Amino acid sequence: MQAQVARSAAPADFPEPSERISRLRATMLSTPYSVCLERPSLLAAFAGSPEGRRARVEHPLVRRAMALAHIFANRRPHVYPDELIIGNMTSKRIAANYYPEGGSVNILEDIFRLERRQIPLFLTPAEKWRLVGLGLRGLPGSVAGRALLKPGRLGRFLDFFRAKRYFITEEAGVGHQVGNYMMAVRQGLRPADEEAAARLAAGTLADGTPLDSDTTAFFRSVRVTIDGIRKMTANLAAEAEREAARPDVSPERRAELLESAEACRHVPYEPARTFLEGLQACWLVHVAMNLEDFEQGMSFGRLDQILWPLYQADIAAGRLTATRATEILASFELKTCETMPLYSERIDQYFSGNGVAQGITMGGTDADGNDVTNELSGLILDAYAQCRTREPALHVRVHAGTPAWLLDKAVRVVQLGCGKPSFFGDPVVVRALEEVGMTKAHARDYAIIGCVELASQGRTYNSSDACLFNLPMCLERALIKGRGTLRTFDEVVSAFRAETRSAVDDMAMVMGWLEETYRVWRPTPVTSIMTEGCLAKGRDVTWGGGLYDYTSIQAAGFADAADSLYALKKMVFEDRRFTLDEFVGILQSDFRGQEALRVELATRLPRYGNGQPEADAMAQVAADAFSDAVRAHRNTRGGQYIPGFYSMTCHYGFGRMTGALPDGRPAGHRLSNGLSPVDGVERRGPTAVLRSAASLDSRAWANCCALNLKFDKKVVEGPAGRHALASLFRTYFAGGGMQVQVNVLDADMLRAAKEDPASDPGIVVRVAGYCAYFRDLQPAVQDEIIERTAHGLE
Amino acid sequence: MGSSEPVGASRPEPEPSAPGREAPAAEREPLILSVQHFCIHDGPGVRSLVFFKGCPLRCAWCQNPESWSPRAQLGFKPHLCIACRTCVEVCPNKAVTAPGVRDHGRCRLCFTCVDHCPSGAMVRFGEPRSVESIVDELRPEFPLFRQSGGGVTLSGGEPTMFPRFAADLARRLKAEGIHVAMETCGEFDLAAAGDLLASLDLVLFDIKVFDDAEQRRWCGVGNNRIKANLRAMVAAAAQGKGPRVWPRMPLIPEAIDTPRNFDKWGGLLQELGIPRMTLVPYHNLGDAKRDWLGISAVSLVKSDPDRTAAGHPRRVPGVDSCAPGEEVF
Repeated sequence: MQAQVARSAAPADFPEPSERISRLRATMLSTPYSVCLERPSLLAAFAGSPEGRRARVEHPLVRRAMALAHIFANRRPHVYPDELIIGNMTSKRIAANYYPEGGSVNILEDIFRLERRQIPLFLTPAEKWRLVGLGLRGLPGSVAGRALLKPGRLGRFLDFFRAKRYFITEEAGVGHQVGNYMMAVRQGLRPADEEAAARLAAGTLADGTPLDSDTTAFFRSVRVTIDGIRKMTANLAAEAEREAARPDVSPERRAELLESAEACRHVPYEPARTFLEGLQACWLVHVAMNLEDFEQGMSFGRLDQILWPLYQADIAAGRLTATRATEILASFELKTCETMPLYSERIDQYFSGNGVAQGITMGGTDADGNDVTNELSGLILDAYAQCRTREPALHVRVHAGTPAWLLDKAVRVVQLGCGKPSFFGDPVVVRALEEVGMTKAHARDYAIIGCVELASQGRTYNSSDACLFNLPMCLERALIKGRGTLRTFDEVVSAFRAETRSAVDDMAMVMGWLEETYRVWRPTPVTSIMTEGCLAKGRDVTWGGGLYDYTSIQAAGFADAADSLYALKKMVFEDRRFTLDEFVGILQSDFRGQEALRVELATRLPRYGNGQPEADAMAQVAADAFSDAVRAHRNTRGGQYIPGFYSMTCHYGFGRMTGALPDGRPAGHRLSNGLSPVDGVERRGPTAVLRSAASLDSRAWANCCALNLKFDKKVVEGPAGRHALASLFRTYFAGGGMQVQVNVLDADMLRAAKEDPASDPGIVVRVAGYCAYFRDLQPAVQDEIIERTAHGLE
Repeated sequence: MGSSEPVGASRPEPEPSAPGREAPAAEREPLILSVQHFCIHDGPGVRSLVFFKGCPLRCAWCQNPESWSPRAQLGFKPHLCIACRTCVEVCPNKAVTAPGVRDHGRCRLCFTCVDHCPSGAMVRFGEPRSVESIVDELRPEFPLFRQSGGGVTLSGGEPTMFPRFAADLARRLKAEGIHVAMETCGEFDLAAAGDLLASLDLVLFDIKVFDDAEQRRWCGVGNNRIKANLRAMVAAAAQGKGPRVWPRMPLIPEAIDTPRNFDKWGGLLQELGIPRMTLVPYHNLGDAKRDWLGISAVSLVKSDPDRTAAGHPRRVPGVDSCAPGEEVF
């Protein structure tokens, strides 16, 4: 334990973690992963209970609320040593929740090798049997099962296992919300509960509209759900009190436990009175939201804003110091490591990284555009520097008035090499949100959902990760279908747009079936309580209750589509080196016997990401084809479809299914990632990449984008590197940039790049006196740089 | 150490050019090796570097041997070659006999092979560029220069071999309010570089071996003129008549990184009143480039990665030293 405590010392420039935080962190890093079967077991028990039988004849909204309340009220509370924020996410220290209503059943694909997976899961043999039983029994009752296990729809069900053109993540769950934590902390859930009671008593909505059976059921579901949450928190408080009563507990710890218990008896039903209670309220509601739908992208919003008055009051009263607040925040951030996604290794190709992305947003402006960065914005980053864990996800809003100290601190965290935080350009993000109907004030109160997606916090129901879409495959199909008929480049673009549109249409139809199923079988009362609009309309979010409602589709392989369009234009229609049919033939043969051509296409043509207007213009064509196809749709709740440009790791999964492309990418190779250029084609450095990205018209991208920059540690270390990165971000956002995230590379990534040069994502390394692309170096030099990186040598 | 055999440039170059005997450079239009962006160790802030081709020195440890000759050169990067033999097929003089193999007698440096090479394995080092085209390439970076307090650094090679062109470029950038620095080895005609120096904000002045004969042995050229130029430029800067001068010293084992050499430089720098300098750690990673040019793949100076600037056992006496990127200019 001594060694672990020593190892987890904070990096220079950041406050040292307390011994408590070092111990908690060591525990979270050393605890093996598992699957929690408590939730599905409670659901199954509820279904067979007298209450469950009564629920069967209830309105779907009430039926669901009763089942969820049963889970909340009957799960076993655990309070772990040292933690200042309490409330277990699952029955184990670190585990994935199992959602039989969602896509968790996919884990059965790995059932015989759970411990031998790249991300091993540890279950007892008995638990495995239970898992199999629960999984198979749950399948017909899952959303996908109910929506798609029907005549005429079976093919769509199978698409889940053979995703090519798109991958409908919404089959697993909607998740991905930034709930109204402002309300949960400052008012508590009581006003929502009382409002529901008042509506039921009055028999009308607030505007006087008489309640019907659906709206009546909604208000009942709110009350049942809040009651369940209160039981959960009371059980947790009792557990903390039991723990405090143990004779071997130190007086200091006893005081902490009793303070936590007191907090859990008060929040989240009542408004938080202290900073600690504020964070405790956030955590308790977060647990409820996780247990409701599924775990992906459940985010906290702008915690520095939400907690600021509590923090100020505690400091003024002498109840709190900045050091203690950092410790509480670190304990909170370490709680986010208790959960993880449940993906089979097959699915993991698409969503690799073991992340669920519980986002915290810092900085930004108020409704009038004034900067509201405060001390807490920095303390949240300080706390993360002490944790350096895979969760939570951290996001920093940047605008002209962002203080230099925040950007500097955020870049210090980037230098730690955990790929966090990511950065968002307020002007461009706000413009995109206004473009999809938000008021300026609401758009300016945006927070990040999960990785990069956008919500006006507490007001938005965005199925923000509904589907990932393989954009280059639309071009591939358009070319194959169009053989012999496409005569001009404009016709190629039209065919590509038509193919994209048709694939999106097809996807939207399937999504519609899912949305209907959600309304009946998987409404989300907790999210509805946490989303403005629902209580006023008397509708669950899945019924269109949210003030803003969207469904978001993300493009993978964006740069491959862009560069392929450019290559077609140049090789076939300008230089006329091939007819279109000849060229398509070469692609279909996967460049057989044409390696020189393939390499030429890949290395000699202008590419998106180099600040070359001719290539960037094609990127706009590709982006618009996708945006236009997506924006043509509304979901069945009446919400607008909006596009995003990120790919998780779907660019690998989709890449395997996609044939050779005109930009020289061979069949089966991974596609480009998010908004980033194709790996290895950026030749003019990061400033050109950012210039290309910022040059694109992003007004339609209301679900944002992910632009990855990768640097060798040497390039960005020290004060000079920090200053350079901060300047780079400022300039990018001033020039119209939307989002950027930076990866500081370690030796393992460089080794992988050396072994498989095709995997080299254009790593810039500092070679003694100059920077170079890693792939441009000879193997021996690469080895030396790997050694250097591994040992942290100058 | 007793030998007087030159250490550097031990094999003749394909396009030989004797050290220190270039044609009067001011008359010639320079070739530009490359313009590199997002550099943060060559002057204040974020900078772009313009690499001139041509250098009067032939340092045994040089990391940029492609910058020695002022003429265009053909290079071959074997790791990129896909053995398609396009270079052999397209060569109008039948000089390329196999990928990477060239009859220097026949090659007219027409670069047809480079134009047709699909993979980028055949490369041309050195392009003629106009001042306008360089400024145009740099212009999109201006906002970043201003944001970061950065600018442009003329590097090489040796920019002072082309004083008229370099002065033109520097003036054009200054006119747009851009900070301009230059890296120099110090071996140049001070009078001819007057205009250039007047247009610069900062000179990063490389100092190497103190002893004239020793420097001649390691670098092919002695350093009496280098020291004289350093004195004159520091004096001018002190009177506000020239750019700030900032010495930089590469930590080359045996040649430069010796107590004796440090002591001697310390004496001169103190005499000149220079308070700070940069110590540049050395790696022999330029060897790859030697291979590309067919010069020699042999490591001429062993790198010693344990000698970091931060943890360096020695200091130049009387002068504060720091690592690249840590300077406070």
